[in-house]
Amino acid sequence: MIVRLLNFVVIGALVLAAAYVYRIKFDSTVQAERLAKLRTEVRRERDSIAALRAKWGELDNPERIEQLAKRFLKLKPVEPTQFDTLDHLPDPPPDYMRPGAKDPIGGMIEGLDEPVGVTGSIAEPNPAGAPNQAAPSPAAASPDAGASNTGAAAQ
Amino acid sequence: MSAVADTLPSAAAEPWTRRLKRSLLYGGDVDRGAKARARVGLAIVAFIAVYGIIAARLVLFGIVADSRAPHRVVTGDAVATARPDILDRNGEVLATDVRVPSLYGEPRRIIDCDEAVELLTADLPDLDAHETRERLCSKRGFVWLKRDITPEQQREIYRQGLPGIGFLNENKRDYPNGPEVSHLIGHVNIDNQGIAGIEKWLDSHGLAALHMAGLATDRLQTPVQLALDLRVQHALRDELVAARAKYHAIAAAGVVLDVRTGEIVAMVSEPDYDPNNPRQALDPSRINRLTTGVYEMGSTFKAFTVAMALDSGKVTLNSSFDARTSLHFGRFEIHDFEAQHRVLTVPEIFTYSSNIGAARIAMAMGVDAHKAFLRKMGQLDRLRTELPESAEPIVPKRWGELNTITIAFGHGLSVAPLQAVMGVAALMNGGILIPPTFLKRTQAEADALGKRVIKPETSAMMRYLMRLNVEKGTARKADVPGYYIGGKTGTADKVVNGRYSKNKVLTDFMAIMPADNPRYLLLIMLDEPQKLPETMNFNTSGWNAVPTGGAVVARIAPLLGIVPRLDLPPADKLILATVRESR
Repeated sequence: MIVRLLNFVVIGALVLAAAYVYRIKFDSTVQAERLAKLRTEVRRERDSIAALRAKWGELDNPERIEQLAKRFLKLKPVEPTQFDTLDHLPDPPPDYMRPGAKDPIGGMIEGLDEPVGVTGSIAEPNPAGAPNQAAPSPAAASPDAGASNTGAAAQ
Repeated sequence: MSAVADTLPSAAAEPWTRRLKRSLLYGGDVDRGAKARARVGLAIVAFIAVYGIIAARLVLFGIVADSRAPHRVVTGDAVATARPDILDRNGEVLATDVRVPSLYGEPRRIIDCDEAVELLTADLPDLDAHETRERLCSKRGFVWLKRDITPEQQREIYRQGLPGIGFLNENKRDYPNGPEVSHLIGHVNIDNQGIAGIEKWLDSHGLAALHMAGLATDRLQTPVQLALDLRVQHALRDELVAARAKYHAIAAAGVVLDVRTGEIVAMVSEPDYDPNNPRQALDPSRINRLTTGVYEMGSTFKAFTVAMALDSGKVTLNSSFDARTSLHFGRFEIHDFEAQHRVLTVPEIFTYSSNIGAARIAMAMGVDAHKAFLRKMGQLDRLRTELPESAEPIVPKRWGELNTITIAFGHGLSVAPLQAVMGVAALMNGGILIPPTFLKRTQAEADALGKRVIKPETSAMMRYLMRLNVEKGTARKADVPGYYIGGKTGTADKVVNGRYSKNKVLTDFMAIMPADNPRYLLLIMLDEPQKLPETMNFNTSGWNAVPTGGAVVARIAPLLGIVPRLDLPPADKLILATVRESR
């Protein structure tokens, strides 16, 4: 009797085990397919990253940037005189300000007589008719109001 | 078991025929029970063995299958193998692999090869119809039709649905910066194998072996980082292109070397080529003049002569040499370009670039000492760098006194310009000769490689002379304020048909910046610059190579992080004073 019961238990365990193994097998197939898919995807991504990096290298090429800068920017190359060390800075202004008082740094800048020149970071004021569309060109600034109006209309 | 035991007593009840058979087969006195047990046991062992093998094989499959999977994916494409990316010192891409489709045919599977050729040539106009027909109508299994087609062309051909025509994705080398870094980086052939420059060096350093093993197909290779700075390279090339056009020179070349580590930060040899179109590289006028060409460097070699004399201790900065008349040796006569007709001190010999003075210094030192010094400075042996292209210097076979006299001012010994740069860098950086490299190198690595060739005081005196030459001598046009440049000019008459030409010259300029605390050495070299009205009809170095050098320094110094210092004292106060103090 015991033996027969044992047999049934073993058969039941066998069926369960078979079902379990089947499930594992099925899962692993699914996972393997997913893995292969992800691998191809990773490869494709890597390839497109490489293509984009190559493209970026082309766009970021100093030769090209220089041509663009010459065409669209009104900046000059940096001069050695434009560099200075931090210990040449003047003492900081007093760190308190009364309400309503004038801005000390603003006052210092206004106090300068000489006009601010063209440097590596300050562009030349835009002359009329220059092909710089980013800068505002008010019609009043131009001596020939009619011409600049037609220019604005053309834009 | 019990069943077997039950049958035993009834053995006598068997019919006689069966008893006979049994006695014939097994013999009369066999215990069948024991036999049966043994057989069952054998069967158990056999089954266990068979199932064991099956189980073990299953486990093996489970383990091995995983490691094989990526191989199966890769074999579908990638004929031209992958290469590591090449980056500059700031991580900008100089060379990378991109995937491009290539067209192939399988002639055995093609049904109508005439139709196939017709349709393919319609889509790819640059395909040679005759050759394609020959290939497609052959009996071969596989033929390449066209490497590297565009995705649009691929789509068009795919849409025609021709049997026996297919695509493979291949790695193709792409150089996004075009001709900017051509000679240094080299190029690859159609199968992505390096055939020049750093690309070839990569192949000879293990990459080729990886290719053979079929392992270098994936992109996961660590990129190679060069010492090159793309921005400096561009600035140098831009100025050299301008200088070559301005002076109508047949070639212009330049190097920027970090004197502390021996790293080559920029190297240009104009005319150059676009590595994306390597056919241009075959043109002999586009060779890399800095490593594959050898030249008589002219007066820049006086730096070696003077350094040798100062380092020996027999000559000091106050020693003087007779330059009143031309120097006669046998049937040769040596003149000065800017003849002073008086006795010159060592700094004057250097700044007036006196051939007579340099020759007399070398004669005073002797032939053997001169030769030994130049060998120590690496000027007589072939310089090997990562670049596979290198040229052996042309050293006179019998080195007599006349050779020493001419080599003292840079004639009669032809070296690769990069070699001269290495030597002068050792004169500048405190006296350590460091082999130049194109790869990124740390200070510690450089210190381990470097070997002392001259005393630090000699090096300081040489820097003083270089600076003095910019303040008062032949290199005045290179004095960019703020960077404290020192420099030596050189103008060598070119040899035409075995004779020194009067009109064709090679001019060069070595500049050190800053002269008091050297960081970078710059070489500018112009081949056959012409006399121009704006250069006062001179074609010597001071009128072409020196202004070019000044323009290059003004552009690259901010990029190299050299802080400009204005209002520095002249060389005798700043550099020479430190030499005297340390004594």
